[in-house]
Amino acid sequence: MKSDIITIKDVTISFGNSVIIDDLSFDIRRGETFGLLGSNGSGKTTIIRALLGIYRPTNGTLLIEGKPYHVNQGVKLGYLPEERGLYKKEKVIDVMTYFGQLKGLSYRESFDASMKFLARVQLEDKATARLDKLSGGQQQKIQLGVTIIGDPQLLILDEPTKGFDPINRRLLMSIIEEHQAKGATVIFVTHQMEEVERLCDRIILLKGGKAAAYGTVAAVRKQHGGASLDDIFVSIYSDEEESDV
Amino acid sequence: MYNLSTVIRFEVIRTVKKKMFWIMAFLFPVVVAGMFTIVFFSNSATSDALKDTEKQKFSFAIKDDTAQIDPSLINAMGGTTTSDVDGAIRDVKSGKIDAFFHYPKELSTQQIDIYGRDVGLFDNGRYDGVARSILTLSASQSVDINTRTILQGEIRIHSQTYKDGQPYDGMKQLIAPGVFLLLFYILIAMFGNQMLNSTIEEKENRVIEMILTTIEARTLIIGKIISLIVLAFIQIIAILIPIVALYLTMREKLELPGIDLTSIPLDPIRIGIGFVLFIASFILFTGLLVTVGAASPTAKEAGGFLGVVMMMLFGPLYAVSLFVSAPQSGIVQFLSFFPFTAPIPLLLRNAVGNLSYTEAIIAIVILSASAAIVISLAVRVFQYGALEYSRRLNLREIIIGR
Repeated sequence: MKSDIITIKDVTISFGNSVIIDDLSFDIRRGETFGLLGSNGSGKTTIIRALLGIYRPTNGTLLIEGKPYHVNQGVKLGYLPEERGLYKKEKVIDVMTYFGQLKGLSYRESFDASMKFLARVQLEDKATARLDKLSGGQQQKIQLGVTIIGDPQLLILDEPTKGFDPINRRLLMSIIEEHQAKGATVIFVTHQMEEVERLCDRIILLKGGKAAAYGTVAAVRKQHGGASLDDIFVSIYSDEEESDV
Repeated sequence: MYNLSTVIRFEVIRTVKKKMFWIMAFLFPVVVAGMFTIVFFSNSATSDALKDTEKQKFSFAIKDDTAQIDPSLINAMGGTTTSDVDGAIRDVKSGKIDAFFHYPKELSTQQIDIYGRDVGLFDNGRYDGVARSILTLSASQSVDINTRTILQGEIRIHSQTYKDGQPYDGMKQLIAPGVFLLLFYILIAMFGNQMLNSTIEEKENRVIEMILTTIEARTLIIGKIISLIVLAFIQIIAILIPIVALYLTMREKLELPGIDLTSIPLDPIRIGIGFVLFIASFILFTGLLVTVGAASPTAKEAGGFLGVVMMMLFGPLYAVSLFVSAPQSGIVQFLSFFPFTAPIPLLLRNAVGNLSYTEAIIAIVILSASAAIVISLAVRVFQYGALEYSRRLNLREIIIGR
C-alpha cells in the first residue's frame, strides 16, 4: 500500500458568508495520478490553493508530506495554476531559467533543462523571443515547461488542457505520462472526463464543496452501475445545469 | 531568504536590459535642472525672507577708507566706527559684535570685506544687504556727483562668516550632507513609478500563483526592494559619468570654474545622519509604493495613489524657506516627524545644519520603525491580495488575512 503524500482532513473554507468547501476529507497517495473533478464553482481550485497555502482554511488541516505546505519545505512541486501567465515582456529562456533557479537548480542546469524542453516542444527557435510575441498555444507550452522544470515529485495541474489544441493536448498527456513513469504524484484538476479515464488512478468529484464521489475510477464507475465517467459527471451535475438554465 | 539573490539578479538584469532605463538616466538631469529652476524662481517666500533679514537689527562695526560714509548714518543704523581691522575681526569671531564691514578706499577697483557671525544660510545675507544699504543711503545724502557715482557704482563684496570662532561657509557645509537630499529626490522621482509597478506586474500577468508556490512572498518583496535600490545606484552612476566626463573634457573650452574638492568641509556626524536618514527614507517609500502596488489590481488604479504619495513627499519643498529659517515652528516640526512627509524636511535641515542630534535620533527611529511596518504590510498585502485581480484589498482583509 502506497503512503499518503497529501492529507486533507475536515476542511471547510468560507469567504464571508459563502461556504466554498464544506467539511471535506480525502487523501492522495504517493505516485498516483489523482483526478480532482467538478463543475465550475465546485471548489476544485479553492482546495488546491488552500493546500498550497495561498488561501487559509476556515477549519481543518491540509498537509503535504505530513506538514502544511511551505515553499522551503523541500517538496519538489510543479504547479500549473488555473489563472496562468508569465512575465510577458521577458525572453522565454530568461523566464524559464529564472523559475528553474527558484526551484533550486543552478543557472546552467536550469538553462540546459529549459533548452531541452524547448526542443521537445519544437520551440527552441523561440528561446530568445519575448513571451508576448508567442501565440497563445506556444505560451501555454512555455507555462507547462516552467511547471515541470526541475522534475517535480508532486505535479498539480489545474485545467492543464485549457487553451490547447488536440495536438498540444496529446503532447501534454505524453509529458504527464513521462512524469507518472518517473514516480511523480500527479493531481489533475479538470472536467475533461476522457483524460481522467485515461490517466487517473483515483478521483474525487466535488459538488457544493463536498465529495459527491471518491475512490478508484473503477470503483466510482461500479457505484454508478458501470456508467462512463462522462455519464456519471452529467448525472451528478445535471441539476446544477438545469438550475443555471 | 533562500532565493533572494536569484530574485535580485533577475529583477536587476531585466531592468538594465531595457532601453527606457538608459533613456531615463540621460534625460533626467535635464528634467531635474528645469524643475529646480522653476522652484528657484517661483519661491518668492525665500526672497521675502531675505528682505526681512535686511531690516533686522544687529551690532556691527565699520572701517570706512572711502571717507564718504556719514558716521551719523552708521550710528543711526546701530553701528560703530573703528580703525582697528584685526580687533574688529577678533570681536566678530568672539561674538562680541555680529559683523564688521571694511569699505576699501577705491570702491570701483577693490572689494568690500564683510566679516559676520554665522546666523544661518539665509540670514547671513543680512550683512550683505546692510552693507549695500549703507552705501545707497550715503549716496542719496551726498551732493557731490562724483561721490554719488562712486557709491552707486558696481561694487564687489567678499564675505566671511564665523561659527564658534572658526571660519564657516554655510553653502560649502551644505554640499556633503546635501548630496543625500539630492539623491533621495532623484531616486524617488525616477523610480516611483517602477516601485509602484514592481508588484502589479505579477498580478497583471497572472504569474503570482506560480511565484507564491515557489518562493516566500517576503523573499520576493525584499528582493524587489533591494533590486530597486541597486538599480537606483546604477542609474545615479549612469547620470554622473557623462556629467563628470563632460566637465573634465570641456572644462577649459567652456571656461567652467574649477572645483576644489578639498575645500568642501566634511562633517562626519552630519554626513552619517544624512546617510542613515536617506537609507531609512528610501526603504520606507519603496515599501510604501510596493504596498500600494500589491493592494491594487491594475497599474492604472495604483497610479492614482502615486500622486498622493508624491504630494506628501515633495509637498514640503514649497515650505523650503521655513525649514531653513524657522526650524522650531510647529509646521516644520510636524512635517519633520510625520513619517510620510519627513524625508525632505529632515534631509534639508540636516544639510543646512539646524537638525539637532536629539531630533535626528528621534527621526531615525520613527523612519526605521515606519519602514519595518510598511515592509511587513507589503508582504502581507502581496500574499493576501495576490489573487484579487479585479478589486482593491481593504484594510480589514489585510489585517486578518484571507
